[in-house]
Amino acid sequence: MRQVPFGASLAPFSHPGWQIGPGLLIAGSLLALTIAGVAALLCQAPLPEASELWQNRYLSNVIRFTVWQATLSTGLSLVLGLVIALVLVRQPRFPGRGLLLRMMELSLVLPTIVAVSGLVGVYGRHGWLTSVIDHWTTFGWNLYGLNGIVLAHIFFNAPLAGRILLQALESVPAPRRRVASQLGLQGWWLWRTLDWPAVSQVLPGLAALVFTLCFTSFAIVMTLGGGPASTTLEVAIYQSLRFEFDFGRAALLAIVQLLICGAIWLLMVRRGLSANLTPQRSFPETILRPDSLGLTRFRDVALLLCFTLFLLLPLAAILVRGMPGLVTVAIDGGNPLADLANATLRSFAIALPAGALSVLSALLVRALASRGGPHLIRLSSVATAVPLMVPPIVLGTGLFLLLRPSLGHAYQGLALVALINGLMALPFVTQLLRGPLTGLDEATTRQADQLGLLGWYRWRWLHWPRLRRPLALAMAYGTGLSLGDFGVIALFGSPGQPTVPVLLYQQLGSYRMELAAGTALWLVTLLLLVFAAFNLPGYRRKQSRHQQDALKTLAEARHA
Amino acid sequence: MPRRSLALFAGIALPLLAHGQANETLTVYTHPSFAAAWGPGPGVKEAFEQRCDCTLEYVVLDSGGDILQRLRLEGNSTDADVVLGLHTGTMETARQTDLLAPHGITFESLELPIDWQDSLFVPYDWGYFAFVYNTEQLPNPPNSLEELVNAPEELQIIIQDPRTSTPGLGLLLWMKAVYGDQAGEKWQALSDNILTTTKSWSDGYFSLFMNGEAPMILSYSTSPAYHMAIDKTDRYQAAEFEEGHYLQVEVAALVEPSEQKALARDFLQFILTADFQRHIPLKNVMYPAIDLGDELPEVFDRLIQPDNTLFIDPAIVAEKRKSWLDEWLNAMIP
Repeated sequence: MRQVPFGASLAPFSHPGWQIGPGLLIAGSLLALTIAGVAALLCQAPLPEASELWQNRYLSNVIRFTVWQATLSTGLSLVLGLVIALVLVRQPRFPGRGLLLRMMELSLVLPTIVAVSGLVGVYGRHGWLTSVIDHWTTFGWNLYGLNGIVLAHIFFNAPLAGRILLQALESVPAPRRRVASQLGLQGWWLWRTLDWPAVSQVLPGLAALVFTLCFTSFAIVMTLGGGPASTTLEVAIYQSLRFEFDFGRAALLAIVQLLICGAIWLLMVRRGLSANLTPQRSFPETILRPDSLGLTRFRDVALLLCFTLFLLLPLAAILVRGMPGLVTVAIDGGNPLADLANATLRSFAIALPAGALSVLSALLVRALASRGGPHLIRLSSVATAVPLMVPPIVLGTGLFLLLRPSLGHAYQGLALVALINGLMALPFVTQLLRGPLTGLDEATTRQADQLGLLGWYRWRWLHWPRLRRPLALAMAYGTGLSLGDFGVIALFGSPGQPTVPVLLYQQLGSYRMELAAGTALWLVTLLLLVFAAFNLPGYRRKQSRHQQDALKTLAEARHA
Repeated sequence: MPRRSLALFAGIALPLLAHGQANETLTVYTHPSFAAAWGPGPGVKEAFEQRCDCTLEYVVLDSGGDILQRLRLEGNSTDADVVLGLHTGTMETARQTDLLAPHGITFESLELPIDWQDSLFVPYDWGYFAFVYNTEQLPNPPNSLEELVNAPEELQIIIQDPRTSTPGLGLLLWMKAVYGDQAGEKWQALSDNILTTTKSWSDGYFSLFMNGEAPMILSYSTSPAYHMAIDKTDRYQAAEFEEGHYLQVEVAALVEPSEQKALARDFLQFILTADFQRHIPLKNVMYPAIDLGDELPEVFDRLIQPDNTLFIDPAIVAEKRKSWLDEWLNAMIP
């Protein structure tokens, strides 16, 4: 039993209810909303015979292909992400490391059409890299088909995996790292004692997240898939809803998708239940790993160069393509510039609250996981991801049917967009915060309990110093995802006042290709700025830490 | 300080007053390419508001399909007075919702390649589906659909998915109109020329075609007009096919539950005037639905003029679409 010291009840938000109530409310409403969304469709039409799924050749093909490409994409993304995270943790200091991290963060939030345009510019039939390959080798590279789908999914998800895994690896406690360094552990032993315990905390959840993203991917699969033979279940759902108004069939397919992705989540969350028993009292700092020098360093540098090129080339293609348009807009000014400026403000007005909402909800849901039993932990993990598993078009239609009478005008609509964007970002933000939040060891928690460090104070003095950087990163992801979002806003309709992605689509629809390329570049710049800005606090702390190093060593010695 | 609060008060109160003065608001559901700053929307709004003493408000939905979907979901409680942006591929489904009311217009000035006598739908523009090609990459484009179907594999084209895109559905109907029962086989023959099938026109045009990925893309016969008039380049042209080209007509309609039917009918009348139509050619990049005379930009004279207009009755399209889609899927999936 936890001891509740005298006077603890005075700490704000220290009642146990505060740790369970809000989180339970959020997790519960996410589940309820999703179920209600699908159920609202079923109220309109009955569920068709499930036997259609395996009798219809097309549908069974689609399901098989979707599972196959998602598994392949997830596996490769995680392997590449892990390799890069290990390289980055081995090489904590090199010029441009910060920029590489920002690029890794950026790739996930790029709007599909922008990223695809960049990828095509590099790997397409007349892409930069393809011409090089064609010139020097006889290898017949073709982007369109499974190749392109997997490549694009790796481009989106490997950097995300790498970023989250790096954060997990960096959170390995300093004493542990020092011991490993002193023992000269290398290779398998280093991996087994130092890296694997850190990685295994986040890997299952990450795998489930990436699988869900690849499974529900829509425009990428269609554009790069080559034809209807490679489509995902989402296309079939779209067809049922938009063209045939077959709500029953759409609901059936959505349920199939929910079951497959949900099963993966449940499986993964069960695997990921392990507590951190090691003391963790100091902040991450540079401790030389035995495997970071010599030949390894050469290999690491080569790997990093390749990975940087992999991320950088598509971005460079976007830059080259967008520059003329953006420069014209900047120089000519007038309406296009005003449109862009207004759209930017509007985008931030939605994205910043959405980001804050996602971080706050993630914290509340994680608080639930840290206090509740295994069932609550599982609920909290799965509930945050459920909105990703249901196609937005199904959820949107269902919610529209439910909320319709109370849906007011445009501004309410924008608030709703911010709300939904915030919820959509929740699974990412939860993954980012999982490691840092569960990383606290038993001894520290017990000591905090004894000191009566509860509620707000516990949060302020125990969690905040450790969480500041992960929180800023989570906020950046939440904001970035909302900033680049087009789907939700298109679903609810906008009153002719576009956000930046909507502006981009409007320009595309009106043949303004050069202008659109400029807007795409502007959007990428904004996203990069968001990640740079939210990473600033962490950067400044890193600078000042060197002065405190001496003091900290002293404190640690005394502690031991 | 008092002056500042006065200014603040005025800032809040004036828009409210101004809002109170406007008599009526006409709500039009439309899609982004119409309502965008570069689309015909803003010009049309200005011109109509000058004559009606009302406010024209666009609610922008993702596509023509979404307009229809929203209308169905909202049913009798809809805010829409007019829907603008449906087309010949979706209008029959819209008719079946029973949510549209007769416009009561006699089409006198209408100029379309086909005879149009519909009591619900008012055409506001039209165009032919066509393959647009890059003259630098492809100096000699195919002269017929048959030539394209039998073209060597080197010729790669980009098309859109008929389940998610309007031109995509257009090509499906085009193939059907030309080949009838043989459409499936012909799709199979065409399939090795298809580089990819994108979700939307924008995906294909922006990400692939303008990136030089394929020399030819499914689009409209009017697309080159934009490139010639605004981009000032003759590089992109439409290939004229001997069999003829499939016609698309974009339409608007009056919404039955609307409480402002008189105003909405005025708007539908207004659609067939030069004040509306002059915004169509270069802003919507389609043919105007009436004869604009000299106001039609010159580049429109340089577009292809198909001898044969292909068109399947929308009622038949609505009835057969599902089976034609299945036929296409079966042909395309080995």
